[in-house]
Amino acid sequence: MKSVKGYQCKECGRVFYPERKICLGCGGRQFKKIALGKEGVLLTFTKLHALPMDFESRTLMLGIVEFAHGLRALGQLSTDDVEMGMKMRARWDVVRELDGVQLYGLRFYPAKR
Amino acid sequence: MRDVAIVGCGMTKFGRREEDLLELLSEASLAAMKDAEMDQGSVDAIYVANMGAGILNHQTGVASALVDRLSLLPAPADTVENGPASGASAIKNAFLAIASGLYDLVLVAGGEKMRAVTGWEVTDFVASMTHRQGEYIYGVTLPALAGMFARLHMAKYGVKPEHLAMVALKNHENGVRNPYAHIQQAVTMEGILHRPEAVVNNPYIAEPLRMFDCCPVSDGAAAVVLCAAERAKDFPHTVVRMAGFGQATDTHAVHQREDPLDLKAVRGAAQAAFKMAGLKPKDIHVAELHDAFTILEIVESEQAGFFGVGEGHLALEKGVTRLDGKLPINPSGGLKARGHPVGATGVAQVVELVWQLRGQAEGRQVPDAANGFCCNFGGFGNNVLAFVLSRE
Ligand SMILES: [Zn+2]
Repeated sequence: MKSVKGYQCKECGRVFYPERKICLGCGGRQFKKIALGKEGVLLTFTKLHALPMDFESRTLMLGIVEFAHGLRALGQLSTDDVEMGMKMRARWDVVRELDGVQLYGLRFYPAKR
Repeated sequence: MRDVAIVGCGMTKFGRREEDLLELLSEASLAAMKDAEMDQGSVDAIYVANMGAGILNHQTGVASALVDRLSLLPAPADTVENGPASGASAIKNAFLAIASGLYDLVLVAGGEKMRAVTGWEVTDFVASMTHRQGEYIYGVTLPALAGMFARLHMAKYGVKPEHLAMVALKNHENGVRNPYAHIQQAVTMEGILHRPEAVVNNPYIAEPLRMFDCCPVSDGAAAVVLCAAERAKDFPHTVVRMAGFGQATDTHAVHQREDPLDLKAVRGAAQAAFKMAGLKPKDIHVAELHDAFTILEIVESEQAGFFGVGEGHLALEKGVTRLDGKLPINPSGGLKARGHPVGATGVAQVVELVWQLRGQAEGRQVPDAANGFCCNFGGFGNNVLAFVLSRE
């Protein structure tokens, strides 16, 4: 399983996910992959009841998690028992199958207390 | 740069329509040309706004098809795609072409035929404009982005579900007065929020947003005729000038914004439009905002500069944005009630403003409106256009 990586600008240190070709902060073009922190904080979320095609479940939990370095990422949530500000852990997993291809992305789980 | 005026406008009724896309675009175009009392030989060029006929209707090259259907040959014709802001982008192209002196008279038509496919397909079609790796693959939809945004905004500024419902109530009430609106039915706070059956009548779409927080999926088209202002007096109506235009972009993935609540592109587009017009938000008498979701009308009213940040819901509460308020917003019913055929919306906003500024918005006329503002919101705020229109 691939680990979860952010892209850090070698010039100014700002971190992005997903990657960019040119740094939004300084215009730098060199990035290095860095590991996301172990835990992030759930900034906001939604329980989606009207899903696009190809999803078999009736609802889908989605959220934005903020990690160290101010890096944020959107992903699926493993449970609907969540609240804003909750600590979450990220895993890299299959998030959707599109045109017969399995697509990998982030799934967030509540961090164990 | 030459001044540009709008000398003709027309639209189809929005809603579920039997006609195909070309028929809808033709109907709106003919209405706009009739309104301008012009013949087809005088059209120098056409721009057609459409987001996805290639996906929804097996039809590409829409402008080439329309220019032929209307026998405007050999006028140059281009299709403009900028997501749900395609309409304003097409008008911008016409505006620039006339302002530059290249053309004198340009027809702009925007249309979409969305109900040709299922709800799941249309949801996916609209979602496909989100960031591929950062949003789309997760099953993110536009309502999902709006839901996450609303939850944050509501927590920060004390906005309640009742405030969101107030946008729906107001715009549905206005929609009843607009014969072109998709939904011509008023709703009540009790019916969509407080009665036990509200959970059935108004189910969650993307929590905390419910069905009545989201615009319907519509078919329809709208069209305008733009002309060099120096020739506008040759046409039958009160001259309405395109006084200001602005456009700005923002990060594709919403979570990459420094402050995900800050809709910078709305502010940037609005400020540029006001600057070009030499007007301020307080000079505006009527506004059409892109309320694809109720929360967006509130936030755009702040970012456009009409109210302070975090104060849009307070103005709403006081009735400032009602038809009889100090700054009526979405007298047409907005996307919420007029409907949102994505390619048509930006054009329909301008059509409504022209009717308001001419004094032709029967049943929903804002008294003596001289300056109007509209905002067409592409993606989840990553590509936004604004216009200021002024009556001569
Ligand atoms: Zn940088």
